[in-house]
Amino acid sequence: MRAILIRSILSLLIVFSVCQCSLMAEDKTTFKSTVSPFLTKYCLDCHNAKKQKGDRRFDEITGVISDDNSLIDMQDILDLLNLHEMPPKESKQPSKDERQIVVQWLTQQITQYHDSRKDFTGESVLRRLNSREYRNTVRDLLHLNVTIFDPTQEFPRDQLTDHLDNNGQVLVTSGHLLAKYLVVAERVVDKALYPLEKPVGQQWAFRDNFKQQPEIDGARKKAHGLKYMNLYDVIGADKHEGAYGPIRAFTEGVPLDGYYDFRIKAEAVNRINPYDADYLGTDPSEPFRLGIVPGNYQVGALHHTQPIEPLLAEIELADEAKWYKVRVWLDAGYTPRFTFVNGLYDSRSLWSRIIKKYPDQFPKLKNGGIGEARNTAIKHSKLPQIHIHEIEIEGPIVERWPTASQQTLLGEDAASILTSGKMTESQMRNALSAFASEAYRRPVQPEEVDRVLSVIKKRQKTGRSDIEAYSDGIKMVLCSPNFLYLEEPNLAKTSDYALATRLSYFLWSSQPDRKLLNLAAANQLHDPLVLQQQLKRMLDDPKSDAFIDGFLGSWLTLRDLGSTPPDRGQFRSFYQYDLGTAMREETRLFTRHLLQENLSIANFLDSDFTFVNKPLAKHYGIPAPKGTGFQKVELTDKRRGGLLGQASVLTVTANGIDTSPVVRGVWLLENILGTPPSPPPPDVEPLDPDVRGAKSIRDQLNKHRENSSCYECHRKIDPLGFALENFDPVGKWRETYNKRVKIDASGELPSGKKFTDIVDLKAILVQQEDLFARSLTSKLLSYATGRHLVPADRPHIDRIVAELKEQNGGFRDLIQLIVLSEPFLQSHTESPLSQIK
Amino acid sequence: MSLSIQPRRTFLKAAGICLALPALESLKAVSAAPKNQPSVPKRMVCVGNEFGMYSDSFFPKEYGADYEFTKLLKPLEAHRKDMTVLSHLDHGQKGGHFAVHTFLTGVKSVEARNMPDGGISLDQRAAEHVGSKTRFPSLTIGSEDGLHGGCQMSWTRTGTRVPPVAGPRQLFHQLFTDNDAQAKKIAKDRIQLQGSILDGVLGDAKSLKLRLNKTDGTKLEEYFSSVRDVEVKLELDSKWQKVPKPKTDLKEPVNQGLSRDLPLIYDLIALALQTDSTRVATLEVGGSFAARDIGINKGYHGLSHHGKVKASIDLLVQIELYQVQQFARFIDKLKSIREPESNGCLLDNTMALMGSGMGNANSHTNNNLPLVLAGGGFKHGEHKQFPKESNRRLPLCNLFVSMLQQFGVETGSFSTSTGTLTGLEMA
Repeated sequence: MRAILIRSILSLLIVFSVCQCSLMAEDKTTFKSTVSPFLTKYCLDCHNAKKQKGDRRFDEITGVISDDNSLIDMQDILDLLNLHEMPPKESKQPSKDERQIVVQWLTQQITQYHDSRKDFTGESVLRRLNSREYRNTVRDLLHLNVTIFDPTQEFPRDQLTDHLDNNGQVLVTSGHLLAKYLVVAERVVDKALYPLEKPVGQQWAFRDNFKQQPEIDGARKKAHGLKYMNLYDVIGADKHEGAYGPIRAFTEGVPLDGYYDFRIKAEAVNRINPYDADYLGTDPSEPFRLGIVPGNYQVGALHHTQPIEPLLAEIELADEAKWYKVRVWLDAGYTPRFTFVNGLYDSRSLWSRIIKKYPDQFPKLKNGGIGEARNTAIKHSKLPQIHIHEIEIEGPIVERWPTASQQTLLGEDAASILTSGKMTESQMRNALSAFASEAYRRPVQPEEVDRVLSVIKKRQKTGRSDIEAYSDGIKMVLCSPNFLYLEEPNLAKTSDYALATRLSYFLWSSQPDRKLLNLAAANQLHDPLVLQQQLKRMLDDPKSDAFIDGFLGSWLTLRDLGSTPPDRGQFRSFYQYDLGTAMREETRLFTRHLLQENLSIANFLDSDFTFVNKPLAKHYGIPAPKGTGFQKVELTDKRRGGLLGQASVLTVTANGIDTSPVVRGVWLLENILGTPPSPPPPDVEPLDPDVRGAKSIRDQLNKHRENSSCYECHRKIDPLGFALENFDPVGKWRETYNKRVKIDASGELPSGKKFTDIVDLKAILVQQEDLFARSLTSKLLSYATGRHLVPADRPHIDRIVAELKEQNGGFRDLIQLIVLSEPFLQSHTESPLSQIK
Repeated sequence: MSLSIQPRRTFLKAAGICLALPALESLKAVSAAPKNQPSVPKRMVCVGNEFGMYSDSFFPKEYGADYEFTKLLKPLEAHRKDMTVLSHLDHGQKGGHFAVHTFLTGVKSVEARNMPDGGISLDQRAAEHVGSKTRFPSLTIGSEDGLHGGCQMSWTRTGTRVPPVAGPRQLFHQLFTDNDAQAKKIAKDRIQLQGSILDGVLGDAKSLKLRLNKTDGTKLEEYFSSVRDVEVKLELDSKWQKVPKPKTDLKEPVNQGLSRDLPLIYDLIALALQTDSTRVATLEVGGSFAARDIGINKGYHGLSHHGKVKASIDLLVQIELYQVQQFARFIDKLKSIREPESNGCLLDNTMALMGSGMGNANSHTNNNLPLVLAGGGFKHGEHKQFPKESNRRLPLCNLFVSMLQQFGVETGSFSTSTGTLTGLEMA
């Protein structure tokens, strides 16, 4: 009861700084005398029984909020009045006082309704781990290295809703998925447990006969007898030649998972060359970078792109042959392949092009075919390339035995169990209890252990050894619903374990660690001060990168970046410089910076800094930072600050071919402003793009908007999209379409505010920061709780936004307010928010 | 839901697991069987692409039997009598790329939950009918790359995608590579282990359910039904482990990307049908279909946004033509293979549908889908026009009901259907 009182006072005080403690009787009078006439005068013309613009009808409003539907209507009216978007600017406008009175009345009604409701419908449904969470959890639980190994690779893809990948309701479990869980459980347990004997390191050396790729090996053999590897292309090149340097004598790869020490004798050749640097696209001022990626001959040809090829190591090369040492993780069956990270693009066509461009530097071609050009260019050209002369590999390097994985699985007696191969029932019970308690994120129950033990016994009877049978039991743990489902706290009982789980899947997308579980065991985690300490610890842990990735993937749909590949003809630099990765990295680093420094969330809308590497700086047309990595740079160019100037956002909102103001406008309304438009009415002919004439997309859309049923939404959508038209499908600045039609990025918002370009628009958006704050808060809350938001969440969101504003808080503060909010804690006790004040 | 309480063994029996004869034996048995017994199996193949077909080059101008083959249909001309072109059918969906996946389901996956059959796709509905009669109740072939985030044609009842077989190499192994004795032993042991695990986790699930409220309890039903699904699958696997796979002269293929692999994939599908390894196959021409592999140096997706520029349309039609050519080649093949136990050919009992969930890729619309139905015992030979007007349009799902009935499924409805497809008769 006290909580409710505090809540209502708080909302009134903080959110709207008014406190009209009126009685119900008075409310009705106000509705009749003031609100109803207001509606009749300003709203009912368009929202009545016959005409229902925007699918809204207000003639039936009685002044009482009876259910969620009438709540949504009232909230809509309130929001649009606050935004000055309604009544539309071309209609007669209420006076400031008129508006104010209605706003106050609506606010009060809504608050009262929220406080009066007893049912809280925003409860999370039982939610299974999504692929991301499964991968991270298995990594942390079993201490597996997942650089190359992705246990979820064959899982059916998770369903999304509102771009969210962790919504319990839509994350379904199917027979297909469970069948994969069974297979993968076996795979990960085997990976964690074997080999049972400490492996002995091996050595390999490769010093000649470096065959690489059938297309170029003939020419290479003629040129130097395959004495060294030649790397030419970047791996992003189309029909690449010399992009991958596999070791043909080492096709089957390393025998065991582990770290391997590499010694490589390599050389950067022709860094300075006689050719036009812009033409080649390589940068003579920076050292060549040699990369190592894994390859698996069973997946496909080793000189071609494979689905899993993370960059395992990168080495800056000197211009003369030198030995380099590097330690690299490899999974069993994977072989290293060498790459040229800042190399050429499309050598295959370059062979002939370079000869044509510099004819006096080459012997004259006889027939001009590709084979002859290749032979000639490989032998005579001064094209940039990396040579690898010798490779020595040693490993696996075992730093700890039993391994961390074996220790976790087998418990404290791991060493003796491995030696003897025997495991007693009590050893099994102990190890299993500890393991399952971690896997289930709470103390395991004795009957749960018994169920696993009965599987183990069954397996022993079929002739499996102690360890084998025990490991089969572990596989069962990994298929149990206790592991696969996050037991969300429900209203009946709030447990600290549930809170630990919710917290860790929010901030780490993985299981709670020992510290969190200990605090839960001591029943201390729900203490607001403890929560704040943990929050700080968790955000400072690199594991919180998973939050940044996961949340940006959901909020800004960044996980889709690259799913509509930019056209290779038009956007070659995207592939030559791996801009997709760079773009994503910029937004990650930017968000991480706001989080780390607790900077204002207004920076998302506009900022005077960002993070770029050289290629991205070039893409933006701003001065390049020194060195090869990413650096924070000050932005003097107002066009680039904030998310709306970041190429990641601009690329993901285009389709790789062209841009659409509608798509980008809708994206902005959905994800930045939090006011998604209604879907198009069923009877409208969609736009059939026609780019033959000199008509711009604006002309075509204007025509579309002549239709009044389109106009209602498109006047909200299109202007936002037009403001971004100066950015091409990969976020590069442009002044014209196809070098012909000049781009007009100006527009007018429904509120009547006008802008000339993106810089102008951003200034307007920053003025409306509350709107953005509410949108971001909603997205965060939905991500944090793994569920759709419901109307009952709204007062909590408003409170968080108000509190953030009052504290003048930053992004980190916002996360903290989310964690301390009632919907997150789902406690019916007093919200800690009111306690810490 | 009372299903989870029902004893599982009863359920397995009810699912007909013990009744089915492995296919090869059943084929042998059939030859000795009396003539009047329905011995020839019905089959279904559905092919869909991501970006539709350029409609001006696809749909014939004339309707009825006397229509002229358009540029895109030309490769199929030899099969005029064995195919039907259908105009103005669709699912009434919107969403461009985001509605392509409705091709065989009629509903968007997010809305599937509310459907009586949960948004199951046509092929999977047919596969349910086949059950354990074949080694693979169905085969879904497609790629996990591409614009739509992986193959989007086949959907289960619970609204998840059926993961596709990625290429001819994998398909070949599934169809023809038998485990050696050692691998068989391992496989047998694995089935046993997985069975024990399922017994154990079912206990966990039951006790978890007691701790949950009603909403969460309902959610957990998905887990129970998944356990049942996998149990059925394990039973199947263990039966088929004992039956050797058919032999083939084909060499193990190497995957070369979907464009180059397309002919081989069709050949393998034909072989799968011929050997009765499956009776239901679905192929998505999407994802890794690279235009450059058929000599066009422009992106397929880019060309589909042709903006009415002729040069782009020409290239787009070239890509689409290649796809139709391969489908036509597949129909040739089905005609050339004699149906065992009958006088006809494989096509007589194989309905092959080619189409897309995309109507016009340039405007991102999902209506008036390009559709060709061949074989399967329907009365063919026409370009059929269905009502154009928005209030009289027929749902494409009506065609699916007709197909399912022809397949032997006793159903009067599928997804958004309003009946069978008027005008499409059995031969």
